[in-house]
Amino acid sequence: MAAVAGLEKCLRVAGAAAARPERFLSVQDELAADFRTLTKTLYDLNKALGSSVVRGSPLKELVIENFDEEQIWQQLELQNNVVLDVFKKSVAQCTSDKDLWLVSGQEDDGSDAEATSDSEVEDVMESEAEQENVYTKHKTEAKEKKGKPRESVIEKYSDEDSDVDFDIEALEQETKTAKKATVKKTGRKSIVDDKFFKLAEMEAFLEHVEKENGEREEEEEDDIDYFEDIISDDEEEEFEKAKVKVRISPVKSSRDLTYKDFFDPVDDNDDLVADDAEDYEDEKADSAVEEENEESMSEAEDVSDMIMENMRNKKVSFSLPDDSENEDGTDMQLERGIDLSEIKSSFEKRQEKMSEKIKSLEEELLEEKPWQLKGEVTGHKRPENSLLEETVLFDHAVRMAPVITEETTFQLEDIIKQRILDEAWDDVVPKEKPKEDAFEYKKRITLDHEKSKLSLAEIYEQEYLKLHQQKTEEEENPEHKEIQGMMDSLFLKLDALCNFHFTPKPPVPEVKIVSNLPAISMEEVAPVAVSDAALLAPEEIKEKNKAGDVKTDAEKTPTDKKRERRKKKLRKRIKLKEKEKRQKLLEKMKPEQGTKLSKKAAAAKLKKLTKEGKASLLKDEGKDKAVKSSQAFFSQLQDQVRMQIKDANKLKKKQKKQKDVSVHKLKL
Amino acid sequence: METEAADESGFTSVASKRGRRKRKAAGAEPMEAAEAAGPRPSKRPAFPPLPAEALGVGKGEVRKVPVPANRYTPLKENWMKIFTPIVEHLQLQIRFNLKTRNVEIKTCSETKDLSALTKAADFVKAFILGFQVEDALALIRLDDLFLESFEVTDVKPLKGDHLSRAIGRIAGKGGKTKFTIENVTRTRIVLADSKIHILGSFQNIKMARTAICNLILGSPPSKVYGNIRAVASRAAERF
Repeated sequence: MAAVAGLEKCLRVAGAAAARPERFLSVQDELAADFRTLTKTLYDLNKALGSSVVRGSPLKELVIENFDEEQIWQQLELQNNVVLDVFKKSVAQCTSDKDLWLVSGQEDDGSDAEATSDSEVEDVMESEAEQENVYTKHKTEAKEKKGKPRESVIEKYSDEDSDVDFDIEALEQETKTAKKATVKKTGRKSIVDDKFFKLAEMEAFLEHVEKENGEREEEEEDDIDYFEDIISDDEEEEFEKAKVKVRISPVKSSRDLTYKDFFDPVDDNDDLVADDAEDYEDEKADSAVEEENEESMSEAEDVSDMIMENMRNKKVSFSLPDDSENEDGTDMQLERGIDLSEIKSSFEKRQEKMSEKIKSLEEELLEEKPWQLKGEVTGHKRPENSLLEETVLFDHAVRMAPVITEETTFQLEDIIKQRILDEAWDDVVPKEKPKEDAFEYKKRITLDHEKSKLSLAEIYEQEYLKLHQQKTEEEENPEHKEIQGMMDSLFLKLDALCNFHFTPKPPVPEVKIVSNLPAISMEEVAPVAVSDAALLAPEEIKEKNKAGDVKTDAEKTPTDKKRERRKKKLRKRIKLKEKEKRQKLLEKMKPEQGTKLSKKAAAAKLKKLTKEGKASLLKDEGKDKAVKSSQAFFSQLQDQVRMQIKDANKLKKKQKKQKDVSVHKLKL
Repeated sequence: METEAADESGFTSVASKRGRRKRKAAGAEPMEAAEAAGPRPSKRPAFPPLPAEALGVGKGEVRKVPVPANRYTPLKENWMKIFTPIVEHLQLQIRFNLKTRNVEIKTCSETKDLSALTKAADFVKAFILGFQVEDALALIRLDDLFLESFEVTDVKPLKGDHLSRAIGRIAGKGGKTKFTIENVTRTRIVLADSKIHILGSFQNIKMARTAICNLILGSPPSKVYGNIRAVASRAAERF
């Protein structure tokens, strides 16, 4: 009785929780604690009651205090794993047992119970409760399959309760029956239909599956069931067998299974194709059969029930060789009473098509070819602007100019930026003409015109020694170096301490002079020996003229003279040009300065002014000149007088004008 | 070797067919030799260093250098200087066969180096051609000295006076040009009528030969000097 009381309490709690599912939108800690104690009581009850059928886990009671969810779950799992196997077997047996009657409305429920995978989230406690029910009552209700292998816990173990799942199941039942009914309803006949295969059914199924796949893919992408148990093979077999047996009652061994066990009974009332069974038709039939099988095996997981209506509206289209069949099929559909003899076999149809094709090809070949295939075609031979419609490929002899796009400008800018950052400028490096020093000239090999004193062997010997001696340099003893350094620093400090006015020595750069010369050459003041070869040649002092020797005027030939003159003129011309350039520049930059200084500029300005008339040049009348003849004297006199009169007249006129003006003024 | 292979951790080395046949043909001996020598890569054959006797020197190889009549007296005068280095340094035997007028050089039991014979023969030949003994001695002391000979008419087909003038250009006044070339290029040149012999290292021979060819072809000596000076200075800078 304690057991009953406990169970009742559990049911109450569970019912209360399920009654208000909206609470589970947030985390409910008290409920969680309640459920945990619930689980514990159930478990303990189970263990206390004991069972003859199955032992379960060795744990006598479920420990909850200070235990993590994971740990509680694992304890339960220990119990469940053992018990579930037993249950499965017993359930299978029960269902196959003829004496036991399952409730008719829920017969199919058992077969599509596996469809709970996406739709439900089951709480462990509930399943536990149901297991208890199953075990104690030993009759199956709708909940029996909840204890099945596909424990569908998609989301992670949480304390949240799942929502109601019964409604979904009911829905599924409806859809299943509806599906079956509608499948029988589609009565569209086609030419390929026979006892086993109905084209319309296949089409319908294909559409259905496509839709399913689309939906299933969407669902699967979102949530993968990590905690879903993967059925082992033998479990699956049993399971499937059990399911199969659900549909078709008699228990058979796998060897005795026939077509009837797997598929629906064959429809005989449709019109058959009387003639040969084509390969592709059989294949189609097989494929259809397989698909139907699949259909039966994989139950609908979607909740929508509008599938059937949609399927009827769609039409599946097939590839070309089958088109004719379909078309014929559809034609046949329309004209029911056509004689069988007029129906052509598919082979004949194919042959017809082939021959048509061949005819068309032959015609094409006999016709005149289009201009594109005619080889060299000039403008007159083809229609106007026909090349514009063709894509023409030709080789370019010249490299095309690069197309300036945004990308190229960006690239260029990137390069520029990088160059600026790197400071790798492309500045022009000024070229220097190499001037050969006399020293360098001497460094080159001097020619010895005498027979060498040394023999060849000795020469090579000396060379070899020189090469090898260079490698061994004087290496100071490192200890000496160290000592020297220490002493220097010490003496420096002592000096600083001793002197009143201490000035430290300026730092001297360390210069090391290494010379391989013999001591006598270093010590000797006078040059040891001077030979002609050691002296500088006159060319080394002053560079020789390209023209050759220097000539006096008397020696010069006319070509020389002309050459010189030309050179002189060229020099002058260049100078003049430079001067003009400088002048212009000056004028532009500082116009006042420019005109002040030069005489020429002044003369030029004067000329300009006189032309314009703003200035008049004073001419030299030659009054100062001594007059030689009397005629000249008198003519001069005359001229002078005339000039004076003119001037006087001018004056008068001016005065008159002035007077006039004053009168006008007076009047006013 | 096969036993060794079999012992190793179950790995059986697959030997090539060629090797197998050879091994079969050889029989037991190479096995012992291999085992004695220790594990060796099967590809390379094993040859112990040959003793001096095996070289075939012991039998006594002979080289003969013919002597023209004009070199007879210089040979007599310099005989001491010739045979001393050959005998003492190269450990060879030398003699002058009066009947055949050949200088014969032979290896003996004391000869250590096989190339000594070639060197000695070259040395004597150089002297016979006209080089000084000290210059020819460089052939023995240095490995990479060579001797090149060519004719003036090889460069340009000259006849009579032209030929003489060419030879005169090569020699220069008092041998000046020849000496200049010798000094700058560190070679030795022997000008024997139409024949020219150059002794020196490979690069230097090339330089000298170019200079002489230019002279034969007619360029003035000053130009040739400038060229060889430039080339020689470049070569000297490089090394």
